[in-house]
This record gives sequence, C-alpha cells and structure tokens, in this order.
Amino acid sequence: MSSTVIEQAVEREEPAAPKKNYLNADHTIKSWLLTGDHKRIAVLYLISVTFFFFLGGLAAAFIRAELTSPMGTLLNSETYNKMFSAHGIIMIFFFLVAAIPAVLGNFLIPLMIGARDLAFPRLNLASWYVFMLGGLLFIIALIMGGVDAGWTFYTPLSSLYSQTQITLALVGLFLAGFSSIMTGVNFIATIHKMRAPGMTWFRLPLYVWSHYATSIIVILGTPVVAITLLLVALERGLRIGIFSPELGGDPVLFQHMFWFYSHPAVYIMLLPGMGIISEIMACFSRRPVFGYKFVAFSSMAIAGLGFLVWGHHMYVSSQSVYQGIIFSLISFLVAVPSAIKVFNWSLTMWKGSVIFSTPMIYALGFLGLFTIGGLTGLYLSAIGTDIHLTGTYFIVAHFHYVMVGGTVMAFLGGLHFWWPKMFGRMYSEFWGRVSAIVVFVGFNFTFFPQFILGYLGMPRRYHYYYIAPEWQIYNVLSTAGSTVLGIGFLMPVFYLLKSLKSGPIAGPNPWGATGLEWEAASSPPITLNFEGMPKVVGPVYNYDAIEDSESYRREMKEKVTK
Amino acid sequence: MSEHTSTTNGHGDHGHGDHGHSGHHVIPQAKLLQTFFVLMGLMIATVVAARLPYEGGVKGIPSAIAWLVLLGIAFWKAGLVVQIFMGVKYSTKLTKLYAYGGFFWVTLLGVTLFDYATRQLEPVQGWEPVAESALPR
Amino acid sequence: MPEVYPQFEDIDQQQETYIVGMWAFLVNEVMFFGPLFFIYGLYAWKHNAVFYVTSHHLDYKIGALNTTILLISSWMVAMAVHYHQKNQLKKVCNMLWGAAVCGTLFLAIKLIFEWAPKFSHGLFPNPGFQSRYLAYYGADTNVDVARLFFSMYFAITGLHALHVLIGVLIFVWLIRLIKKRPDVITDYVPTEMVGLYWHFVDLVWIFLFPLFYLMPK
Ligand code: HEM
Ligand SMILES: [Cu+2]
Repeated sequence: MSSTVIEQAVEREEPAAPKKNYLNADHTIKSWLLTGDHKRIAVLYLISVTFFFFLGGLAAAFIRAELTSPMGTLLNSETYNKMFSAHGIIMIFFFLVAAIPAVLGNFLIPLMIGARDLAFPRLNLASWYVFMLGGLLFIIALIMGGVDAGWTFYTPLSSLYSQTQITLALVGLFLAGFSSIMTGVNFIATIHKMRAPGMTWFRLPLYVWSHYATSIIVILGTPVVAITLLLVALERGLRIGIFSPELGGDPVLFQHMFWFYSHPAVYIMLLPGMGIISEIMACFSRRPVFGYKFVAFSSMAIAGLGFLVWGHHMYVSSQSVYQGIIFSLISFLVAVPSAIKVFNWSLTMWKGSVIFSTPMIYALGFLGLFTIGGLTGLYLSAIGTDIHLTGTYFIVAHFHYVMVGGTVMAFLGGLHFWWPKMFGRMYSEFWGRVSAIVVFVGFNFTFFPQFILGYLGMPRRYHYYYIAPEWQIYNVLSTAGSTVLGIGFLMPVFYLLKSLKSGPIAGPNPWGATGLEWEAASSPPITLNFEGMPKVVGPVYNYDAIEDSESYRREMKEKVTK
Repeated sequence: MSEHTSTTNGHGDHGHGDHGHSGHHVIPQAKLLQTFFVLMGLMIATVVAARLPYEGGVKGIPSAIAWLVLLGIAFWKAGLVVQIFMGVKYSTKLTKLYAYGGFFWVTLLGVTLFDYATRQLEPVQGWEPVAESALPR
Repeated sequence: MPEVYPQFEDIDQQQETYIVGMWAFLVNEVMFFGPLFFIYGLYAWKHNAVFYVTSHHLDYKIGALNTTILLISSWMVAMAVHYHQKNQLKKVCNMLWGAAVCGTLFLAIKLIFEWAPKFSHGLFPNPGFQSRYLAYYGADTNVDVARLFFSMYFAITGLHALHVLIGVLIFVWLIRLIKKRPDVITDYVPTEMVGLYWHFVDLVWIFLFPLFYLMPK
C-alpha cells in the first residue's frame, strides 16, 4: 500500500498515542518558550495567529455594524478609518502572511521531507519572538489611538498628514516582515538541503513546492516593503521628503515600491493555501494530484510572474498608461498558472472516490470561492473595467474571495486535516462539517452582495452612503452574513479544543493518507520526528493502489459520518 | 507504485557524499592579493574618470559616457568581489543561482523607470511636467 | 571532530545548509538595499543638474579613502577564510582583527569628517533644512531637491554604516569564539559566513561610492 519504506516499521493497528511525543516531552513553560522544536514553535504560532485573527475579526464586526445604516450607527469618521485600518493591517500582516507558513508550514515541512527539524531552529524561535514583538508594538499603537491610513499606508497621508500612531505601527510591521524573512530563509535552506534520502524534488509533496515558491517571494519581496515603510517612518520623523510632493518627492514612487512587494504578497498568502488544497484533494479523492509537474511549476510561475504585475493596483494613480497596458497584459497571464491549478484539482476529483470529510468540504469551498475571486481579478486587470470598479466594494469583494475564500478556507481545511497529526486526537466530524458549511454559506452572504455594491459604485473606506440609500439592503445582507461567518469561525475553537481533552485517539494515519508525515511518524510525532531515517523509494500521492478498494471507502465513510 | 521501487536512493542534493565539497575550495593567497590590487586600481580609475572635465565635454564626450564608465567599473568591481572574494566562481550551481538571481531580481525594480519615461508621452493635456522641484506631473 | 546538530545527518550537510541559508539571507539583503539605490537613481536621473551640484558638497577624497579601507578589510576577511581553511587559527584572528579595525576606522572617518560637519551645518533632513542650506551654500540650486539628495545620502550611508557596525561587532564576537570556544567554532564555515556578509557590505559601498561622490553631470 505504501510507496514509502521506513526503516523502522510503525505500528498501524493499535492507534495509541506514543508515550513520549513532542507535546509531553517536557512540561515547563520554559521548555515551550525556549524550544527549538519546529512543532512546538508551530503551536506557539498557532495560538498567536488565532489571537490576531479574532482581534482583526472584532474590528470587522464594528465595520459591518457601522454599515448597516446609510448614516452610520456607532462610529464617527475617524474611528471608522481606524477600524478598517486595524482590520486590514492585522489580518494581512499578522494573520494571513504568517498563518499557513508559520503554523502548518513550520509543523509539516520537516515531517514531509523527512528531516528531524528545520535547518535553523534558533532562527525559527527568534522569528516567533520578533513576530510577537511586532504584534505587541502594533497593539500598543492601537491602544494609543490607532492608525488611520489603511493597510496600504499611501503617502503623503501616512507620512505628513496623519496624526495617528503610524510610526509605531510601521516599526511593528517592519518587525513582522523580518519574522517572515527569517521563516523564509529557514524554509529555503531546509527544503534544499535536508530532504531524506530518495526524496527528490519531484517526489516532494506539492505542499512543499508551494512553500518553496512562497519563501522565494518572501526573501525577494519583503525587504523591499520593509525599507519602504522605514522610509515612510523617517519621513514622518525627519521630513526626508522622498515620497511627499510638498517636499519635492513623489508619492507614486511609494506606490510602486509598496506594490512591488504587496502584489507578490498576495501570493505569499495564497500559495501555501494552494499547497494545502493539493494534499487534501488527493487524499479525499483517493487519487494522485492530476499533473503533478504542472502544479509544481505553476507555483514557481506564480512566484515569478507575480512580481511583474504590481502596476495593476495603480491604473488610476497617474502611472503612465503605457505601463498600465503592460501590467494589464501580464496580470492576465498570471491568472493562467492559478487556473492550471484549479483545473488540475478538479481533474483530481474526476473519477476519484470523493469523501466529504471536513477538510474536503473546506477544500471544495476553496475551489469555488477562489475561482470567483480569481476571475473577478481579471475584471480588475482590464484597465477599462477597473477604472469603474477601482476603489469600490468590488475590490473589497474580490480580495475577500481570494483571501478569505481562498487562504482562510485553506488554512481551516489544513488545520482540520492535520489536527490529528498535530495533537493526536480526532475532533467531532459532525461539528467539523457543520462549521465548514456555515463558513461557506456565511462567507457568500457576506461578500457576494459587495460585488453588487461595487458594481453600483459604492466606494470602499467610507462609512456614510446617504447619497444612495438603496445600497442599504445589500449592506444589511452583508452584515447578516458576516454574523453567520463569525459563528462559523468560532465553532472550531470549541470542538477543536474539546478534542484535545476527549477526542478519540487518532493513530498515526487516520485518513489513510500518503506522505512521510502520515506513514513514518506517529501522531503526535516524537521530538525528532522519526524513529529512524525515513527513506523514500516511490512517488508521492501513491493513492492508486487503494482507489478501488471498496472496503477502504466504506471504512472511511463510516469514520467520517460518525 | 511498486514498479518504481527499483529506483536507487534518489539524490536529495544534501550531500550524502554524492556531491563535491565545493565549499572547501581554498582560494590561493596570490589570487586574493591580485584581486585586491585590481580592485584598488579600478577604484583609482573610477576617481580619475570622474574627475575628467565632462562638463564642457571632453572633445564632445557627453556625460552619459561618464555614467557608463562609472557604472561599468562599479559592476566590474562588484563582479570581482562576488566571484573571487565571495568565492561564487568556485561554488555550487545552487549558490550561483542565488547569487546571480538576487542581483538579477533587484533590477526588476527598474521596470518602474518605464513609467517615468513614458509619462510625458501620454496624449493628455495639462499633464506636462510641473515645477522643477517635482517629478513630471 | 566538528559538532553536528541533531537535525543534520553529517557535517557536510550542516555546512552546505548554512551556506545556502546565508545566500538566501544575502539575496534578501540585496533586495533590502535595492529600493534605496533605485530611488536614488531615479531622482538622480530626474534631477540630474541639482544632484550634480549637491553631490559636490561631499568630499570624494574621503569617499576614496573609505573605499580603500573597506577594500583592505574585504581582502583581510577573504584571507581569514583562507587561513581558516588551512586551520591557522592565529592568523585567522589577526586578519579578523585587522578587518574589525578597518571597519571601525571607516565608521570613525564617516562620523568625524562627513556626518558631523553635515549635522553641525544642519544639512541633514530636518524641518529646518531649507534655511540652513541657503545660509550655508546660498541659493546654488533647488533646495527641495537638494534635500532629497541628502535624504538619500543619509538613508543609504546610514543603513550601510549600521551594517558596518554590526559587522565589526560580529568580528569581535567571532574572534572571541575562535579563541575561547573551540567546541563551537570547529571549522571554517562560521568565518566563511561572516566573510560573505562583510563582502556584501563592501559591495554596497562599491556602488555607493561612485553614485554619490563621483556623480557626473
Ligand atoms: C488571479 C489572479 C489575480 C488577479 C488578476 C488580480 C487582480 C487584481 C487587481 C487588478 C486589483 C486592483 C484593483 C484596484 O485596486 O483597482 C486587485 C486588488 C487586490 N487583490 Fe487581486 N488579483 C488576483 C489574485 C489575488 C489574490 C490571490 C489575492 C490574495 C490572496 C488578491 C488580493 C488582492 C487585494 C488585497 C487587492 C486590493 C488591494 C487594495 O487596494 O487594498 N488578488 N487584484
Ligand atoms: Cu495585485
């Protein structure tokens, strides 16, 4: 059944958690805070990003509540600006960029490639501390009054005019950026040099490929935004004038530098999610991912092309139209590798034996929502339509479809998929599926009306719309949907935490999945991951053998519907 | 796939002996010293080149040539440092990829120049360059 | 026998991994300085005449002196790696000391002969720049753009000096380790990594020098 030969056979029959694993290897707080173990650092990150996710969600709740009435309900304009800024900054820099790489990537990359740890454990730990320090600074900035320039920090508003805590926030973001650079460097070195014997590049799980592509983007892009934001901070303090027209500088230059990172950054957020989907699709369709090499190379293509489209955020920023045309063209091109992936996942399911477990429902949700998000990206890449749609709720809907419908769905799917591996216990499959469906439904109710609003012309970042009270119905719909969505996001907190205590023991491979992390490691894994040195002799996604085994299907169906 | 079990241990390129110790290459002292002197020579050359009185034009040499000379020398020096001092010339393909890839990628920032270069060409009235203190538009 | 950390199979793998990690970090550093150079280049192109005038308020002789110092230090670091590969630790330390002294000298010259006078004249980006510039140099050019020049000058040389400072501290730390902790520094790879970093610092200066000090019209 297995493509993977392990020197030391793992018990398969008796699902019992190993006596000593990374969770109970040591119990002191110190052993957690000074750990070098990638799995423990992943858990630390999991707690941190969950905190930031709900903090950002709180800000979103205020935004949605405010928008239920054309005249606003509870916030004044300054506070509203601070709310959407806090929401965007927290969600992007402190949740999405870190969530999948730093939690699931950290946990899984060494396990998947057959290494005992990441290459630089101390750097890994340092990255968490730097991340937390950055987060702390940002929270202090919030407490001291917040930030009102939006997550994009456009100059000269952010540099000369805003009176809010921007400097502090920028330093926080700078640190968060460095934390992700540390993780990226670590992943690159690990993936290049620490693969187990026989783990060739084309036997790597696609998840690892997507993290490799992501790390490349991180080291090529993040420093650019880091230095740019630093210049903005200096501009505030010293009036150096580089981005401020009043002082002879050029604000559009800021936008160039910012988007040079921030478009690739959307792929930093998305690519790891795509990796997760590949794993889940293969496992719950019981088929190898269709067109492995295409999927692998499309990740690299996205990483490369993603750097050449930043100008599509600047069509109306007085960028030269000639450059706009070129950027528009390449933006269309970058949708091709994304589409390749979508087609390949669909073909993976085709003739597969699809099992609708919780992770799979999340993955299917991803497939649909990301497709809508990506296709609407094409509307925006076309200069003509973008001139109407830019700065409206259409943009808001577009990027929530990719970032929430894509990345967050993938993150949740991945979390549910590997939860048994991380903590050794199963959660309630029933509640898992309910939450996945609630999230999907709530999401669409929240964001689909925003496409319509954007089409009708409602501008983003304004909280009054009394000029067009007819927009209220869509806004109310959206707020109602967001309540459902919020409940959907809260549900996993309860049943996942409960599973830690009373969930059934998972055993090393509850899903019958392939891959070293399932076949060669226990759940939860021991501190150095594997008992012996795993050796790989065949391709990844070796699901053919089990495909038509009726008994497996029945067994899984039973397990899943229980 | 059992058909594939015949595959020999693949070669994760992580040096289980299947891989030259390229990092161990010892660069001879003479080579390092020679590189140093070349670098010094280039430094002096660049100063001299820059001091030539281009302003009036040395027999019609426009300043663009001065720029080319200065940048050319800078890239030459950078190449020596990267190749010899940093030892990229003697290192693995992977190192070369990262070293050259990084320097290549940074030039992509230059795509932005296309924007500034073509703004003036837009057929829209009233968008001509404004005061001297600001960039066009 | 060199120490192998538990995540690695053997010392070769460990060393190669360190070198890959270091290069990934250097790529990141290139992209970190890149935007500064790019922005400088863009403004230098757009405001060529003004930048030409302003750049002559820097002293190219000091720049050349500092270039020489950095080149010497770079050579010394390369020699340190060379000696470490041959396991001549005494010479390694000497070379590293030499490089550390060069780095310090560089910073001292920068600070005393370049930054201090500029600061005392008010020629650094600050809200009062305009009047200070006019008072000192007169209206020899567009002052707003002159401020841009000095902003970029301080941003790049400042970040570079920060890197030099970190480099010097790392040299001292490395020398201590080599002398006191033979169990930690078991081979030349740490020196090689520090060397790569230092050469990168040198590289930045190689571009910085002609662009700022020798600007042609
Ligand atoms: C299929 C490829 C995609 C294309 C062609 C595309 C295209 C675009 C375009 C043209 C805009 C600018 C709209 C405007 O401001 O007028 C935009 C905005 C945005 N996109 Fe996408 N997009 C794609 C995928 C993604 C993905 C995968 C993400 C995130 C995971 C994403 C996140 C965003 C965000 C956050 C914005 C708004 C930025 C802001 O102004 O605040 N996009 N997209
Ligand atoms: Cu974009």
